[in-house]
Amino acid sequence: MSNLLIVIIVFGLGAIGFLIGRNRAMASGEGDMRNLHSLPFYYGANVGFSTMIPAIGVLALWLIAQPFAINNAVSGMLSADNIEAAGSRSLVMSDVRRVSEGLDAAVTQGVLARDEASEIAFDTTDVRALLASVGVALGSEVSADTLRAAQRYRVMANRGNLLKTIAVIAAALAGLAMSYRATTKDFRARNVVERGVLMLLICAASIAVLTTLGIILSLIFNTIEFFRLYAASEFFLGLRWNPSFSGRGGGSELGILPLLWGTLYISFVALLVAVPLGLFAAIYLSEYASKRVRSVAKPLLEILAGIPTIVYGLFALLTVGPLLVDVFGNDGLLGVGWMSGGTAVMTAGLVMGIMLIPFVSSLSDDIINAVPQAMRDGSYGLGATQSETVRQVILPAALPGIVGAILLAASRAIGETMIVVLGAGAAARLSLNPFEAMTTVTAKIVSQLTGDSDFASPEALVAFALGITLFVITLGLNIFALYIVRKYREQYD
Amino acid sequence: MEDMVHVERAMSTQQDIKIKANTVQVYYGENHAIKDVDVEIADKTVTAFIGPSGCGKSTFLRCINRMNDTIDICRVEGDILIDGEDIYHPNVDPVQLRAKVGMVFQKPNPFPKSIYDNVAYGPKIHGLARNKAELDEIVEKSLRKAALWDEVKDRLDAAGTGMSGGQQQRLCIARAIATQPEVLLMDEPCSALDPIATAQVEELIDELRQSFSVVIVTHSMQQAARVSQKTAFFHLGNLVEFDDTDKIFTNPQDPRTESYISGRIG
Amino acid sequence: MTDATANPIPGTASKGKSLLEQDDRTKRRNAAEKRFRAYGIAAISIGLLFLLALLWAIINNGIPAFTQTFINLEVELAEENLDPNGNRSLEDIRKVSTFGYNPLIGAALIAETADIETEVSDGDLTKILSASAAAVVRNYVIENPDQIGETVEFRLLASSRVDGYLKGRVQREDLARDRNLDAAHLDLIDEMVTRGSTERVFNWDFILGADASESRPEQAGIGVSMLGSFFMMIVVLFAALPIGVAASIYLEEFAPQNKFTDLIEVNISNLAAVPSIVFGILGLAVFIQFAHLPQSAPLVGGLTLTLMTLPTIVISTRASLKAVPPSIRDAALGVGASKMQSVFHHVLPLAMPGILTGTIIGLAQALGETAPLLLIGMVGYIASNYPDGVASGFLDPNSAMPAQIYEWAKRADPAYYERAWGGIIVLLLFLLTMNIIAIILRRRFERRW
Repeated sequence: MSNLLIVIIVFGLGAIGFLIGRNRAMASGEGDMRNLHSLPFYYGANVGFSTMIPAIGVLALWLIAQPFAINNAVSGMLSADNIEAAGSRSLVMSDVRRVSEGLDAAVTQGVLARDEASEIAFDTTDVRALLASVGVALGSEVSADTLRAAQRYRVMANRGNLLKTIAVIAAALAGLAMSYRATTKDFRARNVVERGVLMLLICAASIAVLTTLGIILSLIFNTIEFFRLYAASEFFLGLRWNPSFSGRGGGSELGILPLLWGTLYISFVALLVAVPLGLFAAIYLSEYASKRVRSVAKPLLEILAGIPTIVYGLFALLTVGPLLVDVFGNDGLLGVGWMSGGTAVMTAGLVMGIMLIPFVSSLSDDIINAVPQAMRDGSYGLGATQSETVRQVILPAALPGIVGAILLAASRAIGETMIVVLGAGAAARLSLNPFEAMTTVTAKIVSQLTGDSDFASPEALVAFALGITLFVITLGLNIFALYIVRKYREQYD
Repeated sequence: MEDMVHVERAMSTQQDIKIKANTVQVYYGENHAIKDVDVEIADKTVTAFIGPSGCGKSTFLRCINRMNDTIDICRVEGDILIDGEDIYHPNVDPVQLRAKVGMVFQKPNPFPKSIYDNVAYGPKIHGLARNKAELDEIVEKSLRKAALWDEVKDRLDAAGTGMSGGQQQRLCIARAIATQPEVLLMDEPCSALDPIATAQVEELIDELRQSFSVVIVTHSMQQAARVSQKTAFFHLGNLVEFDDTDKIFTNPQDPRTESYISGRIG
Repeated sequence: MTDATANPIPGTASKGKSLLEQDDRTKRRNAAEKRFRAYGIAAISIGLLFLLALLWAIINNGIPAFTQTFINLEVELAEENLDPNGNRSLEDIRKVSTFGYNPLIGAALIAETADIETEVSDGDLTKILSASAAAVVRNYVIENPDQIGETVEFRLLASSRVDGYLKGRVQREDLARDRNLDAAHLDLIDEMVTRGSTERVFNWDFILGADASESRPEQAGIGVSMLGSFFMMIVVLFAALPIGVAASIYLEEFAPQNKFTDLIEVNISNLAAVPSIVFGILGLAVFIQFAHLPQSAPLVGGLTLTLMTLPTIVISTRASLKAVPPSIRDAALGVGASKMQSVFHHVLPLAMPGILTGTIIGLAQALGETAPLLLIGMVGYIASNYPDGVASGFLDPNSAMPAQIYEWAKRADPAYYERAWGGIIVLLLFLLTMNIIAIILRRRFERRW
């Protein structure tokens, strides 16, 4: 039975529970609502929730636990030779899963009879051809080991699914029966329901923690896997990035330094554009501009922040890049010949800088506005001009906040993907020339994980190591920046 | 010219007229905040502006160094003359004016800089010192004049924001006098201070009288009586009465002044 | 000044320096003031200039995608080619593949251009038509088998080069090294334009159609990936809104001051700043690697974007909840409502406009997001079939508008660049609409307490 169907059944039971719970409460109060402790709605809701929540919980747990249990049982059946031939256990296991899915498909399409699937023997049937005929393509021949494991896998999975259905529906019915019996007029239904709702609210709030946990765990596990296949020291200290997709492992040079260099270089160029422009724009808007100018210019600038990054990427690739080549290229206006292709550090950095202008300006604007008016009055009262006040009183007072804003912008730049994927180029290079193409950590995460990746080769797994580096850098910058900004805010609160 | 100065002198009580206001009107948008104020403020005197809150005394004070320019909707009509020069004349740069007419605010507002930098800020922007030694001298003299030197001379590098309220306000006074103004405006300088700090600041104001024309806005009639020689009573945007402080408090001419003094309005 | 420095004792400074004349220092300072102000104006102008350049690039390059060139052609549906048995049986007609139709179209083109002097050889004539032409004719014949033997007028897509030439995108000199079209074709096209056998019409297929193979940019449309985006947004809306609102209610109204609450708060503010690509890695690892959900499915994309959007929604929801004054809560508690009732009956409805505004803005953000989608496989030539139904809409491989745009931007044919820009216009129109709705909501329901 499919999970969706199970969920629908559980919800149906919940709805029934709601109705009968409410009716029972009304009956127990002799039809007069005033005899009840809580409103009838709460009695119904209690029964409904008691039916659905444990059942859904069982379902969720089952879904998480079953693959583990089956994997453990099945992977014991694989011989060491088989694993060695394929490269790693997880590769064989993914073959096992595919074969088992193929057998399932063969059964549903009627190519195999139900019991035939678990009995076909390795030496009599061409399993690969059979599965190909039902639309499941396999990369290599199926070994005897794999086939047996797949058959076992399929049986266990089917049995597990049946047990799961029974368990979930039993949980729902048990919840229904227990809460139905508890429904009497003195039962404090509202308190129970409210406690339940509170639990739901807590669960929702915990999703933020779970997300972080998920990010960290998925990055760490795959990174550990990667470091098993590729030396960590070579990854962190290697000066060359040269992945090969020819074979599994071997021959690849996966040093992060050229990627980090590209990332930092592009971010630096972006900040070089965004910080002066954003800061001066913020100063003008908060200190000089009339209300009307401010009400027009500020939202217009902020449009830049609302435009999706893919648009900037295209702008970099198709407009800014060619434009820069026209100026700095071989036959360019300046005749300097610094640039040979449209994709370059300069292209990506410039466009990213444009994207970051409103980010810097609105953060700085907030921070400058948080400087109390008394500071300005004090300075004007001494005969300072507006610019002297800004430069010598307001900016120094706002400096920590502005530094925080710039760090946040830097973290944004480092994590930006689409602009660099389209605008910066694909070659990893340690060069100082900003008109050369370079690549970044994010761009390589995309290129290593796009396409059919099997999560087993170091070339794919390296993306997780890149990801964790990126995560740690941006997280560090953010925490530091938020700390600075909070400190700054406290000063004037 | 000679004659006029002579006449003015005869009208005032033996002292020079420093500030003269003629039919000053102030509008905040539609709101007519100051109506027809005429006043003559003498040099080397402490003049107090008193009146119930919202009466316009602070607004008028802020007109004297054009601090109201920083508020978009504020409009000033009429003339205010300092040393016979109209400060709202288009040729007058408010920046230059404010160097001449210093101001101390209700709440102490030291910059988030060191004590030294707070005091040195004005002289620096106005270019009053040619070198570090001169600047040091100005800072020391200003702090001495503000009766703060002995308390802070060992920690000039400490942040101005870390001092007590009374010290902060005296620092702001030191900061204001460091630009060598001729007039010092004080907008309720003691309202955020405790009684002891208030007493210190009041003592200071009395000393400052020897060098400046001091104009102080205050909520407290006792304070006006203690520190000022002349008192102006504002009510609903009008200057009701302006005379020697003794006279205002002992023998007010206007019934409104009398009500305020005796505590019936305010 | 000399006075002042010679005698720097406060209060005894020079008298008689007139206020009506500005001294040199003041003039210099005022000049510096003007310069400083000019820097500010320059910064804003440059920012706005960039905005203008960006919009200009989008509109200038994207508008042509909304029209498409067609060539009107009378094709003789010869019986001997299409129904050699002459029995009009659908089965037989279906047996004729598009290859069987090419000669007919070729012949029609030869007939059409018979009186035009051209260097184009007869066999090369079909290069002016899209490769989809044969399929169009075939579909027509299968639907109307009775027309076999007649001559029917078709409106067939011109090839992307011809289309580009008529839009001014393709220049004659560009064709020197092009195998797909020669300058001679262009002369032919010029003649056909003057005769009126070509037509440029509004390109509904671009807005509603599916992606096409690399060699047929004239056929590609953004419609299917639009559906992909739509299904993803449904997932985001129905997952992120309830979870986000529930989390915000807990944090704002019920959470005690303790370590766990702090942990959640820190997590939310940090997640808001995690690069979107990291969410892509998360989605790949959790939903595909771990939970074995189908790759490239809008469901997975939606779930990934949900995690990414949650912090935005939580932050804005909490702000709206905070804006409801405590007096409302006190009033409800005062008449004996439980805390839960006061929140759900009074605070939440009052905060709803703000919550919806924040949600729409979060959705808009999710709609424009590309990077995470690349990792969960929503790229490539996959937005080529309409989903069969709602379930298939969620589960079958699809793309999304920004991912489709990225895909087009990567293809080598410049005709696809035009599509990419056009796709951006479509995407931005959606974002604009969503933001306008958010602004209207805010204006209409904004309440000042």
